[in-house]
Amino acid sequence: MLLFREGSREAFEELFSRHHRAVVRFAWRMTGDPSTAEEAAQEIFLRIARAAPTYRPTAKFTTWMYTVARRATLNYLRDTKEDGERVPILSEGEGEDGVYPVQLPGPDDRNPERVVWEAQLTGRFRTALGELPEGYRAAFVLNRGDGLSYGEVAQVLGVTVQAVKTRIFRAREMLLSRLSKDVSA
Amino acid sequence: MDCRDIRETISVCVDGEASPEEAASVREHLASCERCRMLERQMRAVGAGVRQVRGRVPERFREEVFARLESEGALPKRKKVFPAAWRWAAVPLAAAAGLGLFLLTSREAVRTPVPQAPVASRVETTAAIPPVPGPAVRPAVPPVSAQGTTAALSIEDRKMIALLDILEDPAAFDANGDAEGVELLAPGDSADSPNPPRGGRSGA
Repeated sequence: MLLFREGSREAFEELFSRHHRAVVRFAWRMTGDPSTAEEAAQEIFLRIARAAPTYRPTAKFTTWMYTVARRATLNYLRDTKEDGERVPILSEGEGEDGVYPVQLPGPDDRNPERVVWEAQLTGRFRTALGELPEGYRAAFVLNRGDGLSYGEVAQVLGVTVQAVKTRIFRAREMLLSRLSKDVSA
Repeated sequence: MDCRDIRETISVCVDGEASPEEAASVREHLASCERCRMLERQMRAVGAGVRQVRGRVPERFREEVFARLESEGALPKRKKVFPAAWRWAAVPLAAAAGLGLFLLTSREAVRTPVPQAPVASRVETTAAIPPVPGPAVRPAVPPVSAQGTTAALSIEDRKMIALLDILEDPAAFDANGDAEGVELLAPGDSADSPNPPRGGRSGA
């Protein structure tokens, strides 16, 4: 990124080659829609390029990149919400704990691997993921999908590590609740 | 520890973010709680689920991103492409220029008459030229014999032909010095013309 800031086109091409798959994946997981994900992913790279003159290596590049990516996808989700679709988005901060009471599946439920993956569960999982509040989804996707640590997720989202723990736990509860309902329905 | 209190710690433990103390307490609880053991497995499974949502990189994604960046001027231009291209183009360009120059000069050379042409052949060539009236103009060339020789030429004609040879070879002109009094006329000029003769040397 520093080389790109100094005018190296090759540096940006290398940066793109390394990270474009992760960016597209992240946008896809966050938006749940291929065309929206593509637009968001393009927007992410535009923002990265535009931000080059002011980029400061105060954190890992990937952490900064996901910060940009999350803000870009958030804008797309807000645009979608304005178009009339229901996209739950939480404001930043830590005041959302306990907002979504979830009934977890009991011990009599089916085998968890089968619960998650049986009967075309990938599609259902994607739907359930898209119904999470944006703050929970971002935390869960960044940690489980993109491999960021709790500390890195906290940096990206601008919250504390404790908030990240709570968001990821809540995301898990909600996903399990939704998926167990899908399977039993 | 109560199941309700340890659920979040189980989630943290599944993500590998628990402290040693938290991990120990979770292990202890799971050893005695079937319900939470099931929950722990579900939490692992749902964590793996998100990695199955991969999407795919759209076709022409790279081209579209770079096109947008270039249209915004947010991407530095390539630095080495054009100089390298010109270096490679220099060889065929130089060859083409050389060939063109050669062809041009060759055509000019063809157009230029050869001054050392033999007298007889030159006479044959000029035989078709109609005679131009006037005393200082080339005299009408007498008809060439059937054998193509100059045997039938008069003394005056031969002198004139010799003078013409000299005129086409300035060196010979200077060497002989017997072109005194000869007036040169460019094609189209005539002795009656009010304009002075052009080119060459006059006998004056």
